[in-house]
Amino acid sequence: MQHATTVDHPQTSTGIDNRKLLMWLFLASECLFFGGFIGTYLLYRDRNETAPFPTDRTVDGVTYDGLFDIPFTSVSAFVLLMSSVSMVLALAAIQRNNRRGLQIWLMCTALLGMTFLAGQAFEFTEFYHQGLTLHSNLFGTTFFVLTGFHGAHVSVGVIILLSLYVMAGRGRLTHRNSLNVELAGLYWHFVDVVWIVIFTLVYLIQS
Amino acid sequence: MLTLATWLLATPGPKGVFENPAYLLGLPLLALGALGVLIALSPVEIRWPQWQPGVPEVEELLPPPEGHPTAEVYVRVGLILAAVTALEVVVYYIEALSGALLAILLVLSAGKFALVALWFMHLRFDNRLLSIFFTGGLLLVAALFMVVLASLGASLV
Repeated sequence: MQHATTVDHPQTSTGIDNRKLLMWLFLASECLFFGGFIGTYLLYRDRNETAPFPTDRTVDGVTYDGLFDIPFTSVSAFVLLMSSVSMVLALAAIQRNNRRGLQIWLMCTALLGMTFLAGQAFEFTEFYHQGLTLHSNLFGTTFFVLTGFHGAHVSVGVIILLSLYVMAGRGRLTHRNSLNVELAGLYWHFVDVVWIVIFTLVYLIQS
Repeated sequence: MLTLATWLLATPGPKGVFENPAYLLGLPLLALGALGVLIALSPVEIRWPQWQPGVPEVEELLPPPEGHPTAEVYVRVGLILAAVTALEVVVYYIEALSGALLAILLVLSAGKFALVALWFMHLRFDNRLLSIFFTGGLLLVAALFMVVLASLGASLV
């Protein structure tokens, strides 16, 4: 079912604004981008024979403590999930022409995104202090590349959100061009669903 | 500030709640988010300072776009997502469920993925062509992943 929209856009053969269509195609390509990294991590997870390890493990009679801190990562996952809620509330606000609500929710989303990034920086630092680097073992390489690229995507999302906040403050966002917020929201929600997959496959499901 | 932040992050120590910078940052921000929810859902009209001269402070609010849910529905979906995340973590720690852990976590994760894609990304309400694009990307990933797993003789667990 195609919904009625308040956004003005030129007529297209698909009935969808070209920018929105392009964003969805971009997100489809991003599925392959992250799918490749997640697949690589899972493939090499069991082949890693050198410490440090993600979970508790005994090798040649020596027991190594695992690096993952599930309660901490659960909080991070929760923070990113809640940022998706505030993002969709920002879109709902501007679609109702509520610019004040838009600004509040955009700032909430950006702050939650920055909280997630702070948590990731802390986690990376902890892992580094425990001997895990990009080239220490297969786990380090695949883990840092996967979560690092995800963090880079979150960083770009935060910059977009702050830009929209400034635009809204200058009165340049109304219900008529709410598509700008919708496109940013699609990107942000995609980053969130990628973390849903990473949190389950990388952190919770362990060998 | 940057040096202080780097030093704080680089300082090794126990991961207690009060020593962890992520918790210290996250908890006040979560409280701020909760305050935002209260303000947004509050029936009391709050007057904010005017941020741009010439722009009327109170503007006419439009109804939500046809077919789109209201803010209350989004909040309810968000609460469900939070509950499912908590359930995932609880299941992870229950020894008795370790045999079915993979299946349970995959189902819960797929449910969260679907909720965000259908409600927050509006696939449920938008043109079906967009769903086809996105599902196509996901199917390609799944196919690629299965082929690589099979060819290398690896498994998920």
